[in-house]
Amino acid sequence: MNEFVLALGWSGIYAPMAIGAIGSAIGCGIAGQAGIGAMLETESGYGRYIGISAFPSTFVIYGIVVMFTLDRTVTPENAGGLFGIGVFAAAAFLYCGIWQGRACASAINAAKEKPEIFGLSLAPAAIIEGFAVFAFVFALVISAGIPGAGQ
Amino acid sequence: MSSSDAYVMLMSSLPKPGPLFVAKQTPLSRLKLNMRLRVLTPEEKEMLKLVEQALLWRQLPMEVSDRLVIDRGRTALSRIDNETLQSIVRDRLEIRTCVAALRRRSRGEGPPPAGNAWGFGRWVGHIARNWSDPAFALQGVFPWLHEADRLMARNDSIALERLLLSEAYKRLQRLEGEHAFDFEAVVIYVLKWSIVDRWARYNAEAAARRFEDLTETGLADYAALSFEGDVR
Repeated sequence: MNEFVLALGWSGIYAPMAIGAIGSAIGCGIAGQAGIGAMLETESGYGRYIGISAFPSTFVIYGIVVMFTLDRTVTPENAGGLFGIGVFAAAAFLYCGIWQGRACASAINAAKEKPEIFGLSLAPAAIIEGFAVFAFVFALVISAGIPGAGQ
Repeated sequence: MSSSDAYVMLMSSLPKPGPLFVAKQTPLSRLKLNMRLRVLTPEEKEMLKLVEQALLWRQLPMEVSDRLVIDRGRTALSRIDNETLQSIVRDRLEIRTCVAALRRRSRGEGPPPAGNAWGFGRWVGHIARNWSDPAFALQGVFPWLHEADRLMARNDSIALERLLLSEAYKRLQRLEGEHAFDFEAVVIYVLKWSIVDRWARYNAEAAARRFEDLTETGLADYAALSFEGDVR
């Protein structure tokens, strides 16, 4: 039983990074496809499309930071906390990545037709980023209370 | 990743087709559109073809019977397994049924007898029962019927065509809001493109006729000049 609990603890440490990377990859993939499609149709502004396509890459960075924050010797006492924080932060990063990718795809699609709304069309993607930042900040704050921090 | 994500690139590569009645030509040619649509699977291409065949009558000969048109619509509906696409085909054919009824009435004909193949959809019997009502008692479903009846009575075929195309376009636009990056969005785009193309072609034909008239008027007696300058 102890080994299983320890395994959960370890998976909690690594989950934010791995699942955040998955979320970023899917998000960048969706937005990237929209960017490529828009480049087929437009004569300029390619850099903007690629820039928007890279927006969802931030979730893997949050995941890496949360992973290092949670990194400590896993014991039966702290494994549950590590698992809970790690896995739920990871789930938030995954969903934010996918939906930010879709929001970016819509932004690219809209900005292709109306370049003047380029900045405003990114607002939904920025709001989704905000939710991920909440999960990220609170994961950092709450991880300080898990036994074994600073070892 | 959901299956809808596969359409992100395709939809992003398609320029906006509108605005209707303002655009002098479609934003991309049919050849270019077909090239973009090459990313669809064979099943999707077949489905798109079915929808287009059921709705685009330009290729049909003038002497085609009502029965054949109705059968084409029914065949398409039975083979389309997508609810949104079914509703698109059904709605358009029902609009045409209403217009067919208006035309029959404007020619002084009475309601078609029951069992006679002349229309398509839910309102065929209802229209026959309410033949004397200007909008066949369907103004709640088709608010434009009164206006269509008025335009038909005035013999204003251009305004009537504008009204019908804008109604069809509006219905597609409403559905477009529910479908951003999926196969339905692709079909809606192609149908909107077809409406814009149809209107643009009307304008081109009118312009060609006008040009011909002006040329004839301008050249007057010299219209038949040969290359050598000899009047034939």
